[in-house]
Order: sequence, then structure tokens, then C-alpha cells
Amino acid sequence: MAPRIPFTVIGGFLGAGKTTLLRHWLTLDDGPSGSGSGASGRRIAVLVNDFGELNLDAALIAQAGGGAIALSNGCVCCSIGDDLGNALIQLLDAWPPFDAVVVEASGVSDPWRIAQYALADPRLVLDGVTVLVDAAAVASQALDPLLADTLSRPLAHADLIVLNKVDQADAPTLAAAQAWLARHAPPGVPQLQTVQAQVPRALLGAALYQPKGWGGDKRGGEGRGGGLPGHPAVAHDQRFESWAVQPEGTYDAARLRAWLQALPPSVLRLKALLPLADGRWAEGHWAGRHASLRLGVPPPDDGAALVAIGLAEQLPCRALATGLDACRIHPA
Amino acid sequence: MTTTTVFSARRIVTMNPAQPEATHVAVRDGRILAVGDLAQCAAWGPHTLDERFSDKVLLPGFVEGHCHLKEGSLWDQPYLGWFDRRDPRGRLWPGLRSVDAVVARLSELDAAMAAAGKADDAPLIAWGFDPIYFSEARLTAPDLDRAGNGRRPIVIAHANGHLMTVNSAMLQAAGIDADNEVEGVMKFEAGPRQGQPNGELQEPAAMYLVLRRVGNAGLLAPLDDAGLRAFGAMAKLQGVTTATDLVNKLGEADLAVLERQADDEAFPVRILPAFQAFHGTHGAAAGAEHVQGLVARNRDKLRYGLVKMMLDGSIQGFSARLRWPGYFKGSDGQPGGAHNGIWVTAPSQYEADFEAYHRAGLTIHTHTNGDEASGGAIAAIERVLARHPRPDHRHTLQHGQMIDRPMFRRMAALGLGANLFSNHLWYWGDQHHDITMGPDRAHRLDACRSALDEGVRLAIHSDAPVTPLAPLFTAWCAVNRITPSGRVLGAAERLTVHEALHAITLGPAWTLKLDHEIGSIECGKRADFAVLHDDPRNVPPMALKDVRVWGTVLSGRVFPATGG
Repeated sequence: MAPRIPFTVIGGFLGAGKTTLLRHWLTLDDGPSGSGSGASGRRIAVLVNDFGELNLDAALIAQAGGGAIALSNGCVCCSIGDDLGNALIQLLDAWPPFDAVVVEASGVSDPWRIAQYALADPRLVLDGVTVLVDAAAVASQALDPLLADTLSRPLAHADLIVLNKVDQADAPTLAAAQAWLARHAPPGVPQLQTVQAQVPRALLGAALYQPKGWGGDKRGGEGRGGGLPGHPAVAHDQRFESWAVQPEGTYDAARLRAWLQALPPSVLRLKALLPLADGRWAEGHWAGRHASLRLGVPPPDDGAALVAIGLAEQLPCRALATGLDACRIHPA
Repeated sequence: MTTTTVFSARRIVTMNPAQPEATHVAVRDGRILAVGDLAQCAAWGPHTLDERFSDKVLLPGFVEGHCHLKEGSLWDQPYLGWFDRRDPRGRLWPGLRSVDAVVARLSELDAAMAAAGKADDAPLIAWGFDPIYFSEARLTAPDLDRAGNGRRPIVIAHANGHLMTVNSAMLQAAGIDADNEVEGVMKFEAGPRQGQPNGELQEPAAMYLVLRRVGNAGLLAPLDDAGLRAFGAMAKLQGVTTATDLVNKLGEADLAVLERQADDEAFPVRILPAFQAFHGTHGAAAGAEHVQGLVARNRDKLRYGLVKMMLDGSIQGFSARLRWPGYFKGSDGQPGGAHNGIWVTAPSQYEADFEAYHRAGLTIHTHTNGDEASGGAIAAIERVLARHPRPDHRHTLQHGQMIDRPMFRRMAALGLGANLFSNHLWYWGDQHHDITMGPDRAHRLDACRSALDEGVRLAIHSDAPVTPLAPLFTAWCAVNRITPSGRVLGAAERLTVHEALHAITLGPAWTLKLDHEIGSIECGKRADFAVLHDDPRNVPPMALKDVRVWGTVLSGRVFPATGG
């Protein structure tokens, strides 16, 4: 059984910056730091409504045709066509499997409904719903009675709201956009302000950032930010920080599930692979304000691991450590 | 040397006001040479007199301005609907009015599959079930488990396309259990099975669980030659000689099938496929170029050049965009008003895309069910036409179920046609009265009389396979406006029989920009006829739907509905 592929949905109305964000993620080179990843190391598959708008640099395109564009960095961009299910079936049959799948919701669709696909396919794991909001336009768009509900509906299940184009909004416009968000965004959802939809690709999930201990040496310890000695930095952006541990002991599934379901919203992403008392392994995910715990594949070297990502200065590392400890059965 | 055939008939209803009736029609090279009596036809010279229709009534071949070719291929799967329905072979499938009746038919189908040597685990996929008509509790997996021996996976696609109900064998094959987290996987709320999936799967992600198991077969199968031939058989049965396929991606495989059939002499219907210009394969600029390129490949029985756009969902699915005060009751039966439907295309995107296709000289048919969507389309088209006037564009609003007189007046001013969904008056009329629109607004559902009064070109349609392909039935709906409970919705909106016949011939021909070629029986037009046993103008209006169809004539070639 292959590891499950993280599945991310990008929502937001027309012009909010979805295409810009996807182009950024498809062509990004994270550079030499970190896990040696960046676009060079991670193969992302992006599903979009319209290729034309993506406007990819021809030099990056290795092959095009048949509703898909393959980039020289290993990433692929596919057309959703009129049936996302069909597009996914083809994508997930590709070998080797992709490291992440990102789906662009159309400007009027509800990204949460698309997120359901990640819960439907055992090869996928939901890695969250990111909704972009056009800081320069949203307040005036919301005055259009034809659009008001269409603009606010996608926010209901966002686990990260990106207020984009803040450079194009003057102070009163930005304030109006923030006031609109305050009225319509569910409480506790983290918000990020961006220019040119420069959302760090770190958000493509904890799963993309597997500490070396994820199947590496078995040892205790934890790290914040730059990581443990010999461990990768988890996030490359100063707006994020991470917490990674390789815990000892065995855990209780019911307690883990309850703990995951009650994680504070300041934890954007969490992934854990932990041994249970009966010798099986549990794989836990927290994303999209959505927790899941299922049986997982034992790592080849029995290395338990957990990594969490949050906004800088907001990640409750101490509370996470205490909560995890409370789920442990042995040693009690 | 060309030959001339003169058909004699008991009566020919021409729909040409200059010559409303005749007894003979002369045909040469597939076109109408003369209309009148035998002497007037014989005056054109040597001819063969064909008297096989001497006891029949000829009308212009019916034009279905909004249907889908899937009406043919769907019948590869069995039908489980509430209303009686006829398949391409002419076999009548009686409507199923109870869960027991559904289970009984599934058991028959299961046995037939077993007798045909199908494996025990070959899935049984059926369509057309609509729970909106059932007052009893919802259909669930335990109901379906009573069909056959319970080992065969069973999938029932609901009529609205958003739901399916499956049996326990299918749940198991798809790995759907109590732990499944997909929101659309419905579970028992109480009783001994509380928390277990009840077999109902709502919305695409939940249905994906099943579709990834049963594969790209059945309901999702692409258009093929057999399906298109089956559609042709349906058309002959109903007197239809021209039909749209009102959303088609027009990819290479689609084009090959369409062109192969259109070039086959035995194919009995003209097809106008409309390019899918929403959520499709091309952006607007590339899409317009694609369709323009296809027009060069037009042939007698296949015409490219239509474009389909879509603004909102459906009224009975609570996804149509409505103006204030919104839905009378919500999907839960509680007083509505709180929640509007969805935009399938954002209005601003619609306007931009519409402009691209309009400027390319193409004719655009826009799906708008709710009145807010219709109003949004009218406003957008008004702005586009102000920027880029184009005489005689023939853009048409499709369904337009809640358009009122002020909107029809704006449409008339803009030259927009209306193709209204008259069949809804019968199929969902009571639901619109009791649930979606309420007892006042339901009276203006599909307001045909208002459209004509305000000077809008009118067509009426079936949207087959949503409702059956049968223009005389569609005309019957517009003439009688009666619901299954016997209620008349908006008596003042009724059409006369003549107006309704116009709305299934010349009316839709206008929306397709083919009114110079088809839609009436007059000199110079294609020799396309519906051959009927009776004159629909001479039967009681309530009997209009029962006028029997003998078959059709297409470009002078005779197509009996059965056999041949």
C-alpha cells in the first residue's frame, strides 16, 4: 500500500489569484535549503479549469497534449474537463505516484464539495482548503446582490484564508475587505496577507516535508523552526514555523483521534505515524480543520514521527507535546 | 436524371399561413417542389405518385430545440422511473409507483442478467428513479437487498443526476462502511443500523466511490454509434426530423461518431450539436475558433455552429438562482427564502465568454432556470449587444421557466428567443406548486402565452432524457398546463393547438437559424415530414398527446417508426 497523496483545494472567486498561486507552486524552486525539495524534488499534479489562463513559460514545458502539460521539473498540470472524478482516476493511475494533488475550484463552486474527493479515495488524504480573497475587489463585489452569497460560501470550510492583492488595495479598501472577512469568515480560521498570491508551498502539507526521522534513526527529541540537528527545516518562510518529534512508546487510537479533533486552529497542518499497543500503526492527519486517523503502513525502520506546521509565533508546541503525551499508553 | 415523387395524404398541415392545408406534396432532390392538389404537383412534369400516406396526416417534421442524444444510449440501461416511458424499440416501460415495484423490476432484471450468463458480481445499473414522487420513506440499501439473491451490486441513478442509491453488495464492493467520512455518504439516523451507510450517495464525491468501481461504463459512457442510432429510432417514433444535442464537447471522438452517422443514408434525423462553452475543454477564444472551424464540416444532416452556456442549476434541485423571495420551501420542506441556488458560471465570466462567442458570429443558447439567472443573462446580453450589435443573432434563453412579462419585453427588445420547458408543467408541476415556487408563482411557470404576447419567438422542449422526447406531448403540456393531480397551472398562459404546433416546428427552427430550410411544408424547404394517423387540430386538446405517429420523412426518404 503506497502512502496516501495529500490533496489540496484552492478556492476563491474570479480574479482572486488562484491561477497565479498555482503557477507559483508549479514552477517554484525552493532552492537548496530544506529537504532538498522545491520543485526539483517534489512532483505536484495540479488540476485546473483552463490551461490557457495559466500561461506557463514555454521553456518549462516538457510535453503537452491530451489535456495535460508535463513540466520539466516533474510537475504536471491537467484539465479537469467536465468531470473531476474522471480526471482524478487518470491522475491517480499515473506511475510513479505524485507527491501532492492540488485542485483549482472554479470561481463559483464550493471548494468543500471538491475536498470530499480526498475523503472518497483511499489513495488520497485531505490536506486542506485554501480560499483566496481579492483584497482590492471583494468589498465592491459583495455589493452585487447576484454575487454576495457566492463570494462568502467558499469561506465556510476554509482552513486558511489568503487575502491577496493587498498591494492593489488602498487603506480604506483593505479595511473594507477585512471588515467583510470579519463578517463572513468562520471564527478562528488563520488568515494570511499576500501580494501576487505568494503563498509558501510549505502549505502543501506536512506530508511533503517528511523529517529524516520519518523512517530514519530512532531517537527521541523535538525541534522547532529550523528543526533538529540533522533535520530539515520544515518551513522556508519566516511566516511559518514547525514542530517535529520522533516520539517513543505506543499510543491509544481513541485518545489520538480525540486529540486530533480538538487541535487548536493555530495548527495548520499535522501528520503523525505512531505505533499502537497491538503492534499496528496509526496514521493521523490534521488539515482543513479536519482530523483523520486510520491504520497506516509501518515505517521500514519503526521510526515513529510527528510534524506540525503553524503560523510563526502561533504554533503551541508545548500544548502539542502535552497533548501527545496524554495519548501514550506505554510508557505511561 | 432527377425524379419527382408526389405524396398524397388525407391532409397536409403546412404551417405556412399562405397555404395552410393541402393534399399533395411533390418532392425532388430531397426538397419540396410543390404543395397543393395532385394537379398542381403534376404540373411540374413526370412524377411517381406515392399513395402510402393517403390515409395519414402530414405535418412539418418536428424540431426538438433542446434535447440530448443520451436519450438514445441511456436505454442500454433499464429504466425505473415513476412515469411510463417508451424505449427506442417502442417498448413501453410502465412507471413504478412503489418501492416494492422497483424491487420487483430489479429482481426481473437480475434474473435476466443471470440467464444471459452475466457473472454474479456484474453490476446492475439503472436510471430514472425520482424520489420526489414517493411519499413513503426513502429508498435504501436494505430495500434493494431484497432484489435477487443480494450478491449482484445494484446502482440506481436518480433522475436529477445528483444522487444514487446502491445496495449492500455495491457498498461492500466500493468499500463504503460506517467509517466513511464523505459528507454525501448518507447513514441511518436511528434504528438497529444507526450509523451504517443507508445506500444513498449524494453529490459527485460520494458517487465517485461507486463510479471508480463500476468504471467509465453505463451512465457515463461516451456517445457511440449504437447510442446515436438508438436516438434516431426514438426520433422516428416521435415524428422528430431535427434535434439538437444541447451540450457536446465536440472532441475528435464525438465528431467521428456524429459525422459517420450523419453520412449514413439510414440515419433519420438532422442533428445540431451545441458546443459546451462552460466547464469545458476550451477557453472562450479557443472555443469560438474551434466551433468556427467546424462549420466548414457541416453537411445536410449535421450542423455545427451552436454554442451552449449555462448559468444556474435546476428549480426542483433547489439549485436554480431565484429572485426575491426565493424558494417557497427548502429541500427539507421547511419555509424557504434563506438559501438561493448556485451559479454554474459566474455572471461576469458568462458575459465575457458570451461576448467572445457572439463576436465570432455564433448562436448562443443559455441555460437559465431561475428568474435571477434569466435576468442576469438578459442584462449581460444587453450590454454585449450595446458594445457589439449584430443583426439577427438568434441567441436564445433555454428553460427560462420563471421569466415574467417585464423580462419577456426586454428579451423582445434584444431579439432574444425563448425555448421554454413546458414538460415541467406536467412532470414537476405539483412540486413547483406545493414546494419550490408556491401556489402563486407556480402559475407563471413556463409562461408561453406571455412570451408570445410580448413578441418573443417561442419554442418548447423536453430536455430529453430529463423528460421523454415527444414533441406532441410537449405541445399537450403547453396547451393544457395540467399537473398529475389535475390542477391547471396558470390557465391564462395556455397556448392554442396551432400555437403549440408552431412552437415544435417553426419556433425552434427559428432558434436554430434553420427556419428557411425546415419547420413548414412549402416550396424550396427540405422534405421533412411527421407522418401522423390523425390531425392534431381535430382532436380534443386533452388528446393531443395521444395522436399516433406513423413515422417520418426526411429529405424525401420515408422512415416508418417501426421496422424499416
